[in-house]
Amino acid sequence: MPVNISNAKNRDAIVAFESLMPKRSIRYTDTDGRSVVNRKLLKTDVAHDLPQLLKKSRKIEKVADALIKSDPEIYVEDFGMFLSDTSRVYVTEKGIVHLIEEFEVVKNPDDTVRERRPRKKELQNINTDVPLKWTGKFIKKKDAIGKFIFTNKKQLVHVNGLTFDFLFDMAKTLQKKDSLLLVRGGEEGKSPVIMNRGGKAYNAFLEGRVKGDSYCLILHLSNMELRKPIEVETLEN
Amino acid sequence: MARELILSLDGQEIAVQLVKLDREKLYGDVEVEAFDEKGKPATLKVLAADGKTLIDKGGTALATVNEDGDSISRTELIALDADGEKIDPVESSFGKPNVLKRATADDYLSQMVKATYILEPSEGSDINFLYDHLSADQIYSFPFSYRGGLELDNAFLLGKSDTAFMVVGKQAELQFVKLNQASVLDSVEEAEISADDLDFGLL
Repeated sequence: MPVNISNAKNRDAIVAFESLMPKRSIRYTDTDGRSVVNRKLLKTDVAHDLPQLLKKSRKIEKVADALIKSDPEIYVEDFGMFLSDTSRVYVTEKGIVHLIEEFEVVKNPDDTVRERRPRKKELQNINTDVPLKWTGKFIKKKDAIGKFIFTNKKQLVHVNGLTFDFLFDMAKTLQKKDSLLLVRGGEEGKSPVIMNRGGKAYNAFLEGRVKGDSYCLILHLSNMELRKPIEVETLEN
Repeated sequence: MARELILSLDGQEIAVQLVKLDREKLYGDVEVEAFDEKGKPATLKVLAADGKTLIDKGGTALATVNEDGDSISRTELIALDADGEKIDPVESSFGKPNVLKRATADDYLSQMVKATYILEPSEGSDINFLYDHLSADQIYSFPFSYRGGLELDNAFLLGKSDTAFMVVGKQAELQFVKLNQASVLDSVEEAEISADDLDFGLL
């Protein structure tokens, strides 16, 4: 995935953005030592789901009786079918709908409604004509980890010799400062980072490490502070 | 009653209970409501690749299958480590002392975070000793498993003078890259589309 990012001199370049995964050291086999994999499969479709069975039987007790006597929830043609390349669609009583209006209901931590508003899907801002901005705002690592929870991470990797130098220098600067750099998006460089249209907005912090002639540039993404919720504080007070 | 986690720091044992911390508790939540052009409510469903099978929540299952596509029961599965050796299960970290070791900021920043907890002292337990250490910008870690299983996670303790947090994660596969390890750009946007949350408190 490409990302357009600028450095301290306001020079920008398109480099690669790679997902980071937790280290996995476990694999499973069957009793014969053959590899196994996890697959998603179909248990029941909407036509055989509880609401449909209730429509037919009208009473939940009758659905229970039907489940004992036969298997009305199972459609033998599809049951157990491996699922891949699925998509998410909106459905009404009449079937799949393509033209829909979405609203966001914003709730407070105590579940009360704060606001209801039309949903606005923000565009991604990591790979546009406007690069992610090197804000020059540094935060010491020890301060950052006491303030934010980094819920996601990405690694920046060069795509050619020129971008190797570009990213290596960034990593070197950041390691020297022992700090994370706040990275912002948008024309004015004030917006949080959004990786997909309609996706989560993150506060992004860049960390650099250098080892010999290699580097590691990590973009730490945070959408949560490290603090007690208000209800816990109130209980204690 | 919540289970007790016993932390051992410099020979002193501190019994604590874990309170899960998540975004909803700090900022609240955003739910999406959808309507068709006539104002009738619409719900999200999963459409299978055949283009006609609609699936609701709970309509799918995960199965473990072998190379022939036959389903394998969990009890028949054998877990192996990277060297192909059988793995001995690990116990839950609750109810036994967990020795804390000093950790660095870089250790912590290398973790993929799975869960965050607030540590509350158990009845009769004094947590101030831990607060004192954490408020001096110290970070501690220990191997952790909530329920027991096949492998341990890493738990990191961070905090201030009156609050201690435990962040549980797994080491990320960080890569130090050299000049000859250039990546190839692909233009496929990641598929993760989420309905929830915007900036911290700016919901």
